[in-house]
Amino acid sequence: MNPYERLMALLEGRKGDVDRLPVWCPARTCTLDGMKMFDAYWPAAHKDPEKMARLAASVYELTGNENISVPFDMTMEAEALGAPCEYFEGKIKWISVKKFIATDVYDMDIPEDPSEFVERGRIPVCIEAIKILKRKYGGKVPVMGIVNCPLTSVGSYVIDSVEFHKFMIKDPERIHRIYKTLNPCFAAQANAFREAGADVIVYTEEAASLDNISPKHFEEFVKPHLTELINMTKPPRVLHICGTLVSGKLEVVSSMIDSGAEAITIEEKTSMTEARRIADEHKPGYVIGGNINAYNVIQGSSIEVIRDRVKKVVEEGTDMVMPGCDYWIETPTEHIKAFVSAAVEYGTPPRWKK
Amino acid sequence: MSEKEKIFERLIQAVIQGETEEAEKAAQDAINAGLEPFKAITEGLAKGMEVVGDKFEKKEYFLPEVLISADAMYAGLNILLPLLKTETVEKKEKVVIGVVEGDIHDIGKNIVKAMLTAAGYEVIDLGRDVPTQKFVETATGEQARVIAMSTLMTPTLMSMKSVEEELEKKGLKGEVKTIIGGGTVTEDWKSSIGSDAYGKDAMEAVGKVKMLVDQIKAAVELAKKKREDISR
Repeated sequence: MNPYERLMALLEGRKGDVDRLPVWCPARTCTLDGMKMFDAYWPAAHKDPEKMARLAASVYELTGNENISVPFDMTMEAEALGAPCEYFEGKIKWISVKKFIATDVYDMDIPEDPSEFVERGRIPVCIEAIKILKRKYGGKVPVMGIVNCPLTSVGSYVIDSVEFHKFMIKDPERIHRIYKTLNPCFAAQANAFREAGADVIVYTEEAASLDNISPKHFEEFVKPHLTELINMTKPPRVLHICGTLVSGKLEVVSSMIDSGAEAITIEEKTSMTEARRIADEHKPGYVIGGNINAYNVIQGSSIEVIRDRVKKVVEEGTDMVMPGCDYWIETPTEHIKAFVSAAVEYGTPPRWKK
Repeated sequence: MSEKEKIFERLIQAVIQGETEEAEKAAQDAINAGLEPFKAITEGLAKGMEVVGDKFEKKEYFLPEVLISADAMYAGLNILLPLLKTETVEKKEKVVIGVVEGDIHDIGKNIVKAMLTAAGYEVIDLGRDVPTQKFVETATGEQARVIAMSTLMTPTLMSMKSVEEELEKKGLKGEVKTIIGGGTVTEDWKSSIGSDAYGKDAMEAVGKVKMLVDQIKAAVELAKKKREDISR
């Protein structure tokens, strides 16, 4: 089985066909080594489809990691809504938003026709990169487009975060309005990625963890609107929320599963054992992935520790061996290689065939 | 409960419930009742914020709840702070706080600021995306004891290193202490760049700031004593 066949079998519910646990990254997937080896440095790789495609594929090419994802940052949707971005020409730095530009949907630059959203900012570059990647890797390695959902995009990069969080209590209608108005635009983005050839759409909503908001607010805002957003695009779809998702009696894992995605992925702040237990009770057989610490372990530890953690996460019940969030760009290629080969070794046969 | 205690309780509850108008009313009532503004702050508003910090630790309160409670506290402080008689109050230690250059995520920093204010520090908030020079110049200009730096992201961790290097260059290490915190910050990072303390959350930050200020005071006392010994 190749990586595409393996992951698609799992996400399409054909667990019996799967030979081993897939190993891939739920969020931003690129490294400095990749930039060097494939001459696709930031910020040029954010704006040129050929470079974006080369950089996106570089981690697979260098390490065997089983996905190729675009884009490489979290500000793309915010920029499409009018947020001014700093690209740091001449340096290799994460794109940052220069200032908050809105307090509500009325002062964001939202197109009348949601389908026009995909013509903005870097979204066309991503669409083109996905087409290039599909031509080269289609049917061999899963090509993915990431959508950074409204709570995170708007609440971190468009509206002042402090005010945004207070609106959840002082003006909940505003949060509902933001999601409702933007869902069609973000769905247009997901669908454009799908049409361009993306095999999997990954939805990231990092602002929705228990590190930030209560389960009550998750139920009130995130669950209904993410469910609506996700269901505007055909499967397979994966929902990723990093941070703490289970704390004592509080948990939002079940609500994430109810959103309708074919799988959810979690970070090291959430116990895989707990997530597995909740998933098995809530929807037996549901696919969850995760959750090795990308910074301390994959980037910062020895090969032995990386292997040991992979063995452990497999025992804890993951269906897909993954870092908890982005691979950090400084991660040495050798480390990701070790991560992947440990996943191959310890993930064979897959958990459900043991 | 005496009248005085009733008013303090109202201040505490106003902060816990995040009721800005009630915090202002209770603050005004405290003044009208002839209560010491200083006590209304320490036994009312600040106590309420401590409870809020505790609820945040326990995941009963989350960011929205804490931020609204902080607003209520600041509303009460706006009324009471100007009335503090300077001679009855110990000179407040100053802390310069900000989110480092390149980062605009400031919720955590705002919560630490609220907790430090409640704990009695004068907090000079430089906001977000603060250049290295500004941290150092403000600390020296204001004679602040502590620089508190925050960042959420990895690439901006380097901005903290710049501030440490600048303090080293200007010979201020030891005189001005540093504390760092944020989503990607760790004890290891603190050791590797030479910061004086790391706070994993707002509650811990307050305790560590106190420790740093005590360290400076002890060093100042020791230096003073040495000079006295020499001159004898």
